[in-house]
Amino acid sequence: MMTLHRSLRDERVWSFALVAPALLTVGLLFIYPLGFSAVSAFSAEEEGGWTFANFIKAFDLYSNDILFTVVIVSLSTVLIGVFAIAIGGYLTLGENLYAVAILKWLYRWPLFIPFIVAAQLMRTFLAKNGLMNNLIVGSGLLEPLQTQSFLDWRGIVITFVWKQTPFVALLVAGAMASLDRSMIESARNLGAGRLRILIEIILPQVRPTIVVALILSFVVMMSVLSVPIMINAQTPTMLTVDMAFRINAYGDYGVANALGFISYLMTGVVAWIYLRHGVRQGGSP
Amino acid sequence: MTMTSHAASVRFENVTKAYGAVVAVDRVSFTIEPGQLVTLLGPSGCGKTTTLRLIAGLEMATDGKIYIGENDVTKLPVTDRDVSMVFQSYALFPHMSVNENVGYGLKVSGVKKREAQERSQEALRLVGLSDLGERMPAALSGGQQQRVAVARALVLEPQVLLFDEPLSNLDAKLRRRVREEVREIQQNLGLTTVYVTHDQEEALAVSDRIVVMKNAAIAQEGTPRELYDNPADSFVADFIGDANIVEGTVLGSGGETANVRIGSLELELPCRSAAAGPAKIAIRPEAIRLSAGDHGAGMRGTVRKATYLGNHLEYTIETEIGQLFVSDPHVESPAAPGDAVAVQFERRGVTLISDQTGDTNGAPEPSAR
Ligand SMILES: Nc1ncnc2c1ncn2[C@@H]1O[C@H](COP(=O)(O)OP(=O)(O)O)[C@@H](O)[C@H]1O
Ligand SMILES: [Mg+2]
Repeated sequence: MMTLHRSLRDERVWSFALVAPALLTVGLLFIYPLGFSAVSAFSAEEEGGWTFANFIKAFDLYSNDILFTVVIVSLSTVLIGVFAIAIGGYLTLGENLYAVAILKWLYRWPLFIPFIVAAQLMRTFLAKNGLMNNLIVGSGLLEPLQTQSFLDWRGIVITFVWKQTPFVALLVAGAMASLDRSMIESARNLGAGRLRILIEIILPQVRPTIVVALILSFVVMMSVLSVPIMINAQTPTMLTVDMAFRINAYGDYGVANALGFISYLMTGVVAWIYLRHGVRQGGSP
Repeated sequence: MTMTSHAASVRFENVTKAYGAVVAVDRVSFTIEPGQLVTLLGPSGCGKTTTLRLIAGLEMATDGKIYIGENDVTKLPVTDRDVSMVFQSYALFPHMSVNENVGYGLKVSGVKKREAQERSQEALRLVGLSDLGERMPAALSGGQQQRVAVARALVLEPQVLLFDEPLSNLDAKLRRRVREEVREIQQNLGLTTVYVTHDQEEALAVSDRIVVMKNAAIAQEGTPRELYDNPADSFVADFIGDANIVEGTVLGSGGETANVRIGSLELELPCRSAAAGPAKIAIRPEAIRLSAGDHGAGMRGTVRKATYLGNHLEYTIETEIGQLFVSDPHVESPAAPGDAVAVQFERRGVTLISDQTGDTNGAPEPSAR
């Protein structure tokens, strides 16, 4: 009995020692700043004590931007999902081997381009006299006066989708490739066309991967500052821009933290959807 | 409501399938009559699966023509062929229930929901799984999953049904039962069936006809009996059943038979238009008769090994023509190693074989090559 107790306790000590560094890292780098910003979001700066003042001010000034952020990021997420599934589906089911090889080689490039460079590229591409409009005018589809700049919400969505689709497509295509080939062949043998196989056979089986990839992508887009700053200098804009502005222009950490907390809530909701999804699937997410 | 048969013939005319430099199927021709079960038999990598996939349309022939019934389907895509395949891995859809799996082909072809349900139920009844329709595939045993795969293929009442090594993922006990069930369903429904296996016993047990394949081509084709009794070459002789391949001499042939010398014995064997001169002869282990002592007619031999196997004995006998492997049903009077024996051959089970690769002259219904 004695030795049993001893060894059990030893084991506990050891296992704690093993996970301690990881816990410490999470605590120091994640929980602490998160807690700190949450606390400061609810604190009154001068008088001290708890208050909703920062949130009231944040909503007063930036409710449009909050809505704008939700809409932009959600719309981008949906489009990314659609394009990633299309790319993964073509890589998995495509008949023309050359086209598949070219797509496979091509689609990953934006992965290696930083957001700020992507934003810069898009500025020159989407501006009123940018490359895209020059091409359209050059091909005679539009008169120069009819062209418009895409450097507004559309520019942000295009940049996000361009930059994030490869990431999601990479994970989704990987999951699709690991499915049993003979399952796809047997569906074809039963008479199902490619689109039908994609929707009815492949998607249900890779759904957990799609959901995870889209949530990760959602969180990344929520935190990108460079794209909205460079592409969309007007209002409404995204919360990251407002946070930077509160801090740089006013040293107003209270409202900035309140906005940050609101971002956390949004990603929190998404994470919650994901967890519920995982539980309903009855398996590991 | 019962299943009806739309069984059609399958015809290959000089079909070739090449993957770059690898020729998986090389100028293969055969005809499968409607309602027959034909087995493609051969060692791993000889092109059996590729041949099956060519029938299904999962691969397109590099050269040659494929007919199902009267129709040239050589260029017809997989989705448009009336052929159902049971995959080696079963390939069930894991996110669909058994009912949904079986009904999927019907749903795709636009059959009304009610009718689809009835037909799925009927197919599940045929394979003995009526009660498991609501289960998910993961909750089924390997044998049950396989039946679902069979039901899913049957329900479409295909012109041709294909099986790729259907027993390979089942344990030994189940195999015999499942192969008997497959054969029974096939015969009851009169389905044209192509069945791939590398197991000769399985092939002998289920087939109307067997196509033996070797190196991407057909080595011989015939009924199980024809292949066993008259193997065209040493490959077929050895692959279907066991065979001692020995050297002999054709002394002369006249009409139906030829005189052949094997060691010190002379036999009259069915003629295979063999010219006089050296020849190879396949001798089945059970076609060798042993008698005790070194008197009596026959070739002298010495027992090297003797193994008792319950219902028969297996011997290795040293003779003037080399070592012979013998299967002897007379367990009541076994010989021991070192014993002298006299060796004789029975007519049935001794075959003259031609051994130039691809040469099947004189074989029953040779395949075009
Ligand atoms: N998709 C493919 N690409 C290249 N070679 C293949 C492919 N499929 C089969 N082969 C080759 O063709 C030959 C026959 O294969 P297969 O028909 O699967 O043989 P079996 O089913 O008789 O074992 C093998 O040499 C195999 O390596
Ligand atoms: Mg095979």
